[in-house]
Amino acid sequence: MELEERARDSADNCIACTSCVAVCPVTKANPDYRGPKLVGPAHNRMHFSDENDYEDSLKLCSNCKNCDITCPNGVSVATLNMLERAKYYKAHPEKHTQADQMLSHNFQMADMLKSIPFGRTCANIGMSIGEAMGMMGAMGIAPQRKSPRFATKYFREMYKEIKQPEGLTKEVLFFPGCFIDTNDPEVGVAFVKVMNANGYKVLMDDRFKCCGSPLVVGGYLDEARSHADNNVAIINEYAAKNIPVIACCTSCSLMLKAEYTELFAQEEMAQAAKNVYDAFEFLTILAEKGELKKVHVSSDKKFIYHAPCHLRAQGMGMPAVDLLKEIGVNIDSADAGCCGMSGSYGFHKENYETSMKIGSELFDKINASGAHKVVCDCGTCREQIKHGTNAKTTHPIQVLAKAYEQ
Amino acid sequence: MVKDKATVVVVGGGATGVGILRDLSMRGIDALLIEKLDMVNGASSRYHGLLHSGARYAVRDQEAAKECIEENTILRRIGKSCVEAISGMFVQVEGDDPDFVDPWVKGCAESGIKTRELSKEEAWSLEPNLSRKLVRAFEVPDGAIDGFRMSWQNVQSAVRYGGRYKTYTELIKINIESGAVKSITVRDNVTKEEYDIECEILVNAAGPWAGKVAQMAGLDCSVSPSKGTLIAFNQRISNRVVNRLRKPSNGDIFVPHGSITILGTSSITIPDPEDTSTSWEEVEELMKTGEGVFEHLRDYRILRVFAGSRPLYVPKGADGGRNASRGFVTLDHEKEDGLKGMMTICGGKFTTYRLMAEKFCDVLAPKLGNTAKCRTAEEDLVPAVSEADKKAARQYFPSYGVNLAATRLGTEKFPEVVKTLKENPETREVLCECENVTMAEVMRIAQEPTSHSVADVRRRTRLGMGTCQGNYCAIRSAAIANKLFKDKLEGCGDSLSDMKNFLQARWKGITPVMAGKTLREAEMTRGMYEVLFNVNGGRR
Repeated sequence: MELEERARDSADNCIACTSCVAVCPVTKANPDYRGPKLVGPAHNRMHFSDENDYEDSLKLCSNCKNCDITCPNGVSVATLNMLERAKYYKAHPEKHTQADQMLSHNFQMADMLKSIPFGRTCANIGMSIGEAMGMMGAMGIAPQRKSPRFATKYFREMYKEIKQPEGLTKEVLFFPGCFIDTNDPEVGVAFVKVMNANGYKVLMDDRFKCCGSPLVVGGYLDEARSHADNNVAIINEYAAKNIPVIACCTSCSLMLKAEYTELFAQEEMAQAAKNVYDAFEFLTILAEKGELKKVHVSSDKKFIYHAPCHLRAQGMGMPAVDLLKEIGVNIDSADAGCCGMSGSYGFHKENYETSMKIGSELFDKINASGAHKVVCDCGTCREQIKHGTNAKTTHPIQVLAKAYEQ
Repeated sequence: MVKDKATVVVVGGGATGVGILRDLSMRGIDALLIEKLDMVNGASSRYHGLLHSGARYAVRDQEAAKECIEENTILRRIGKSCVEAISGMFVQVEGDDPDFVDPWVKGCAESGIKTRELSKEEAWSLEPNLSRKLVRAFEVPDGAIDGFRMSWQNVQSAVRYGGRYKTYTELIKINIESGAVKSITVRDNVTKEEYDIECEILVNAAGPWAGKVAQMAGLDCSVSPSKGTLIAFNQRISNRVVNRLRKPSNGDIFVPHGSITILGTSSITIPDPEDTSTSWEEVEELMKTGEGVFEHLRDYRILRVFAGSRPLYVPKGADGGRNASRGFVTLDHEKEDGLKGMMTICGGKFTTYRLMAEKFCDVLAPKLGNTAKCRTAEEDLVPAVSEADKKAARQYFPSYGVNLAATRLGTEKFPEVVKTLKENPETREVLCECENVTMAEVMRIAQEPTSHSVADVRRRTRLGMGTCQGNYCAIRSAAIANKLFKDKLEGCGDSLSDMKNFLQARWKGITPVMAGKTLREAEMTRGMYEVLFNVNGGRR
């Protein structure tokens, strides 16, 4: 019942307090965006008046979820926006740009390249040539950016070569997500190391598909639904065996934990959500039970931490930075709001300026911090930080894995 | 002092009065309507906005049912800018008398109302929020009609035929000489000026106030004001009118009305039609019944509760309340009481307002030697703004704003507002975000000679009638509108007091339902206005 209530009443809970507009990074950076309150809950009541109308600035919402984080009444404002966007594209599929298609379906490209010998190397060279020749802009992708390169070996391939210690009795299922799997597999490797060190065997399940987050923001809701159904069934299968599912990407974990249910309101999704953890959330639970491997870092190398919006939207504080501090890492949170990337948002040519404007506060703080590396749980945030500051970045699990190596 | 004259003066700016004004004007009779407050402030806007198919009356009163379906068909045709041409459902839920259905289906058929039984699955797929305790469902041609727009559009139609109207003009005396009405004395409630208007025939169309008007002429007219309480919800719970399929009683009808849903009504006989008070107990009774149709009704946000009084005519010795006839009577006081030059129209229903006017004027017109036929069913109330004009204007309006503005403003004012939006981009600012009203529209309506307060602007724009109930638009519009009002009401001399009055009136509808989500909203309003802006100057 609680589930139904939430889905039905989300817009009804809005008291029009405008807090969401006050914190919306897009509204602040781009006055063309009419703000989460109007585009979400307010327009929700007005659709009756004109079936063929739509809000043009809806496409400017980055789905960063700062509106949801702020809302004092629990309205899933960003999700309302995404549902609305989906409705629009369903009626106007021709409005999808080439960039929408590509950025939402990166997983397809990744799978295809894997099946071609030297496919990834060629694709990476192709991207370099494309960027050098200014072809990205023509496809609707911000020409200023360097697209993340495909790893020559994906995590799913590396995983098979990892020798996990014998005799581990406890198991977790890893949800790598597209970015870690195909762009930044070392994060996955670090995760396996950390879990093994804590007595857990890491399982993989090849049936997992992209969490669907890029599909949702691209307005491909039906596809996202099929991914959700697929993933939820797998998660519940493992839940029945008491095997938790863990993600290192905070956008993936938010999707699995909250957005599926908000978007599709299915009981089994709410059920699956209970079995999904962010990596540091899980490690913190271990620490609280006194089961986390003890380690102390003596180096005073300075780190700065950026909390991804999709981590903050999970309402569990900043477990990574807390845990790293606890073991002696010299790390502080930048506390500078959204980085402006929001997954694929900042890769769109038309969003580039907004994206960089949003990130400027974070960039300034990082540049002024004197930290040698920026720690962040989210892959696309890290891309944005590298682009905006030239700083080196890392996932917190890699910092912890390194600490375990000492 | 005689300041004005008209062949016919109509007292009362509700559905009945405006219908008569239009009918007389179209027959070529010089008519003037007076209304003591703003147009449509009584029962014609304080009801659920249902355009009856007649099905509700199919068992008890087939004559009323037939009238309803005929008028429903006519209004769908002539009132495209005020009717929402949706359909309706009658639903029977567990516990309802199953024996009511057959006579009802038969009654509908005999009255000419098309019904179609829906399977439960079909009903749920059309209206997913319907109770799982549904037993049977029928589709009927109910619709929704906006009382504010309908009435103003009748007035606009009358004006094209020479009809005139004066709002905030209150009848205070009927001047009778040698057994005939010679003139009336009125008070201008804005300027406080009192003056006389000469007339040949005075029409008492004051609805629940008709008894009071009759008294001024020393006549007795038994109108029993019957209060109906209604609840407005923050969103459309259904896209069709949903009626309970049983013997008509309280809380039977849900009408999706623009952005909201209205649940009504109760029926309580009251002594004074000015009584529009509501109580938690009345709300609770409606909610309890309403839950039968939408079982999760209590999860929905209530915006406000309001009440109006029906002008039920009670022939001597009969009952009032729900059992009183929804029909209407024409009283020719010359015949009934020997007073020449005065007629009263009493009772009736919003849906049949046009027919009432037609029948009434069929009696009135011959007295003036006028034999013209009624033409009110033949012509649209107002010409509609063309699709092409709306499309061209779209770029200047907020999304989901054009259609609503076009039906509210009509062909005359719509292009003016578009021009303002085009030339002054700052007027594209949405002053009322809940109901999507632009600054330009507020400015245009504020300039109307009939606008004296933000509340008057509200009735014509829906400003402040949505989710936040005036929280944001009150402060945004009070100063802008007050600069443009030609004459201001007493107590609204400055934008601050106008703003406070406006919020106070919103508050009236919120207090009886101040719980849950509604309470959160009210607390924010209080925080903003009393704490942040300190509008009461620190005094209680």
